[in-house]
Amino acid sequence: MSHTTLLDLSRWQWALTAAFHITFPAVTVGTSVFLIVCYGMYMRTDDEVWLRMFRFWRRIFAIGFTLGVVSGIVLTFEFGLNWGPYAHDVGPIVGVMIAMEVVMAFFLEAGFLGLLVYGEGRIGKRMMLFSTCMVTLGTTLSVTWILVANSWMQTPAGYKVVNGQFQPVNWIHVIFNPSFGIRMIHMLVAVLIAAAWFIGGISAWFFVKGRHLPMARRGLSIALGSLAVVLPLQGWIGDSVVGYVAKYKTPQFEAQEGNWKPNTGYNIFLIPNQAGPSNIWQVSLPWFGSAISQDFSGHTAIPPLSLTPKALRPQILTTFYGFRVMWFAWLLMLAVAMVGVILRLRGRLYNTGWFHKLLIVMVPTGFLAIWGGWVLAETGRQPWLVYGKLLTAAAVSPLKTWPVVISLVAFVLFYIALLDTYIWYVARAVREGPDDGPLVDPSLQPEPRARLAPAS
Amino acid sequence: MKLSDAWMIFVFLALTMYIILDGYDLGIGVLTLLDRDDSRRRAMYEQVSWTWDGNESWLVLLALALWSGLPLVTGVALPALYIPLILMLWSLIARGVALELIDQHKGWHRFWGPVFGIGSLLAGFCQGVAFGALVAGFNTHGTSFVGGPFTFLHHGYAILTGLTAVALYVVAGCAFVYLKSDGETRRRAARTGRITVLVLAAGTAASWLLASPAGLVVLHPGETARLPVWIVGAVVLGGGLLVASRSFSVDPDAHRSVRAPGLSTLAVYAGGLLLAGGLLYPSLIPPDITVHAAASPHTTLLFLMIGVGACIPIILTYQAYAYWVFRGKSTVKQEATT
Repeated sequence: MSHTTLLDLSRWQWALTAAFHITFPAVTVGTSVFLIVCYGMYMRTDDEVWLRMFRFWRRIFAIGFTLGVVSGIVLTFEFGLNWGPYAHDVGPIVGVMIAMEVVMAFFLEAGFLGLLVYGEGRIGKRMMLFSTCMVTLGTTLSVTWILVANSWMQTPAGYKVVNGQFQPVNWIHVIFNPSFGIRMIHMLVAVLIAAAWFIGGISAWFFVKGRHLPMARRGLSIALGSLAVVLPLQGWIGDSVVGYVAKYKTPQFEAQEGNWKPNTGYNIFLIPNQAGPSNIWQVSLPWFGSAISQDFSGHTAIPPLSLTPKALRPQILTTFYGFRVMWFAWLLMLAVAMVGVILRLRGRLYNTGWFHKLLIVMVPTGFLAIWGGWVLAETGRQPWLVYGKLLTAAAVSPLKTWPVVISLVAFVLFYIALLDTYIWYVARAVREGPDDGPLVDPSLQPEPRARLAPAS
Repeated sequence: MKLSDAWMIFVFLALTMYIILDGYDLGIGVLTLLDRDDSRRRAMYEQVSWTWDGNESWLVLLALALWSGLPLVTGVALPALYIPLILMLWSLIARGVALELIDQHKGWHRFWGPVFGIGSLLAGFCQGVAFGALVAGFNTHGTSFVGGPFTFLHHGYAILTGLTAVALYVVAGCAFVYLKSDGETRRRAARTGRITVLVLAAGTAASWLLASPAGLVVLHPGETARLPVWIVGAVVLGGGLLVASRSFSVDPDAHRSVRAPGLSTLAVYAGGLLLAGGLLYPSLIPPDITVHAAASPHTTLLFLMIGVGACIPIILTYQAYAYWVFRGKSTVKQEATT
């Protein structure tokens, strides 16, 4: 009983701290790419609007980045704090992947962030662009190595087990484990999507308020343009990810589709009964279940969870809804992005008020999809920590329950406060808007620059 | 020399870089609590605002150098140090966020300033506690530690090392402020530095003398090989403390080197690390866990030596470049937008 409580508390603590953390990379990876665009365009065109955009978004970027860094440090320690036996058992493999993330990505981001944020006036334009690129490279490498580590836990390869410890045999197989490539691309595109809604939503808010229109116009255009390209792509990538799940993690596939009997239909809503032998309530679209298995004749059934032994079944509730949140969010995002394309083709993208309001509401959808996807991937791997090899229950630190209760409660309160502060901060930065005053470019301009006409 | 011993060089490098770099930055945090003047405090915030996350990277590298290269140490020590490390993490988050918010909006420092200061103080204290707890050791069974949530205190020994760490960081902070500022800010740093060096000397001496009775470190009488390391460590440490106590000059006109307090603080770090290393090595968590018992297999260490080894020079290059860009006195801040 006590062990179950400890296990559940430790899992909750990990889930909450990880979900909190992932929110910030989800904003900053894409925003850093956007910063490159802004500064690069500024250097090419000498148009001050780009510089103002760069400075405005940099401010929002910096605070998100800070929260990402500090909440990431927490995760680094939690591997050992709450999961000591896991740390010992997978250190020679997963520890190495995270160590590579630190030396290749984390240091790079932190090293050039100072230059990006505080360097204007001290470094030249080329160096500023270079620093921005290095920050972006760092965030991208970070996603890559984290996905190597996590994918190895989903589809372990290239190892042997010696006295309960996973030891590397072939590093190529460890790094390029079966699920790594597609999952990394899936996550990279996901964070770009989340950042695009973030940037698009804030730009749309400026339209609604009728402020800073030149800047808002470019932000909106770039965000929606990118979304129109990457959202359909993500649909295809996501489908490939499901392919790997069905092949390597069949119990997760069964759980995420939520059937107890073979079903050629596709469940869109259900109230699960984890104990079986059937769900409490289940709404199924006929034929579509077969269609997702690429059998359009309607005869291929989705395998049911009853095929997996009871002790090895992932939760239906978390996997089914984790997947549905991600998938319905994608459908919604795709629809809105396509409306954006239509409005743009008709030349009405910048003067359709209801669409701008809709875009503001869309800001959280990218994050919802990411949270949903990770809830699916992590709870879908249960009861394993390293799939098929190391049980989560065997990997939890032998702590007393009360310190974990206190730390969990405190993390929740602390993170709610931080999230509040972050949202309040971004809202304030957006309300203040970009600096509209006379523009002083400290990057050693030979001539004084012309003033920018006040927007709107 | 085995590969695991070679990996200890990286662990030691990460530890050294971290306590030197974040040490002064946590110390400056404590100093902001001692100064009531807003403009001087602001000058101090600005001295650390662009560098703290780069500095904390070394803490993360230290954690990862232990986890990847010596997984048994992480598996045993982190659960054993649950309370101090969780407190340290909260403190680091709070101070990092506080610093960023202070910097972004004038006027927010009334709330976030004290958060930054207290966070810095507590983070340094918890690190000293964790260090003392490890020196005193943990009993282990297989791959986990044996003990309760408060075993780490070791009858209060860890509190002593915690306070000593705070004193060390404050001295480092004073030395940095002394180097990078002038006028009243520097004078105050010198005054605080002089007093804190004495506290640090007392704390270090007590930590060393009590290391053996406090816990499980056994000083074998036959181990004469350690003696030279101890003597060198003690001389460097003592010399550093002595010079530090004399080189903080409260008289602005005195033509003393502004670098002397900083350099002597570095000597204190070097001496302290030598003493600690000489006391423990090859033990990492006394009494049972040694470098060789805790090390990852050969293939892992080889990968780490090559991968991490290739990155470290690059990291040092761009960190040095950033320090070069932000060189000079920082009392007058260059505004990005005017």
